[in-house]
Amino acid sequence: MDSEHIHALLEKYWRCETSLEEEQQLRTYFRRPDIPESLRETAALFRHLDESRNKVLDSTFDKEVMKRVSKTRTIVRKWVYNSMRIAAGIVVVVMAVWLVRVEIRQSQPVSDQDTYSDPELAFEETKKALLMISKSFNLAEQQARKIQLFNEAQNEIRQEKSAQQEPEGHL
Amino acid sequence: MDIDHFEKIVLSVKNKLFRFALRMLGSQDDAKDVVQEVFIRVWNNRATAGDVRNWEAWCMRMARNLSLDRLRASARKPSLAIDESITLEQQDPTPDTSAELSESMTTVREIMDALPEKQRQVMHLRDVEGYSYQEICEILELDMSQVKVNLFRARNAVREKMLKIDAYGL
Repeated sequence: MDSEHIHALLEKYWRCETSLEEEQQLRTYFRRPDIPESLRETAALFRHLDESRNKVLDSTFDKEVMKRVSKTRTIVRKWVYNSMRIAAGIVVVVMAVWLVRVEIRQSQPVSDQDTYSDPELAFEETKKALLMISKSFNLAEQQARKIQLFNEAQNEIRQEKSAQQEPEGHL
Repeated sequence: MDIDHFEKIVLSVKNKLFRFALRMLGSQDDAKDVVQEVFIRVWNNRATAGDVRNWEAWCMRMARNLSLDRLRASARKPSLAIDESITLEQQDPTPDTSAELSESMTTVREIMDALPEKQRQVMHLRDVEGYSYQEICEILELDMSQVKVNLFRARNAVREKMLKIDAYGL
């Protein structure tokens, strides 16, 4: 690479018109040991940039990061495991409550339970029951009337008896 | 994203993130913490990471934001000089660095460290990491003209100061 080309590239570099490839050419050039005296300061700049690029992390860094990442994974895994345990516990409790409820329902007497699911049928059956009660009441009322008639006749006889006895007493 | 993809692909940008955070924070330990934090966040958000168009720029932006948070939290100015007392691993050390050149490189570093924060970040991303202008726009959340202006000012500030030092020894 001739000196003129380098100077031209450098001018472009200072004007920020160089491409990445041209900047790479400059970097490669300034790594040479035989740099002319006129470019000594510029060489120092490019060498400094090269040196900055050589700063790297030590080899233990990857292990440290992977250890921390694994720890994060373990924490997430533990969290998922614990969540699943809690969910399983909730399922067991819900199932137990449901089974107990079914058991209580089955052990209840039939009379405590609803007998009809159809409201119209229930209404008809209620009407029948009420009619039956009503008929019984009517029958009872008839018998009660007979007793009342007997009582009324008894009262009349008593009144007549006492009326007959009163004139005899005056005499 | 599974663990293998994370280890092979995502972790491979660690050094770019580290250098960028180091450039901003000036402390190797802080920069390392930032990079670790970035990777933990990437892993925790791996479900949405697939929607990210340029995940490397996304990671770099996260590193920048976390570094800025640290600077704000510690209420300190961005460190101008990288702690050179820390021994960093070097890939392919610069060959044949003479004492004179080494001295000039120290001067260049001081000049670059004295640049305004944004100029320093743009110059680092372009001249050290080799990102395209578009990628720098995405990382720094700037528009193209701002990126170019900052890079132009940074390079020319470095050039002018180097010329002054060379001419007058200032």
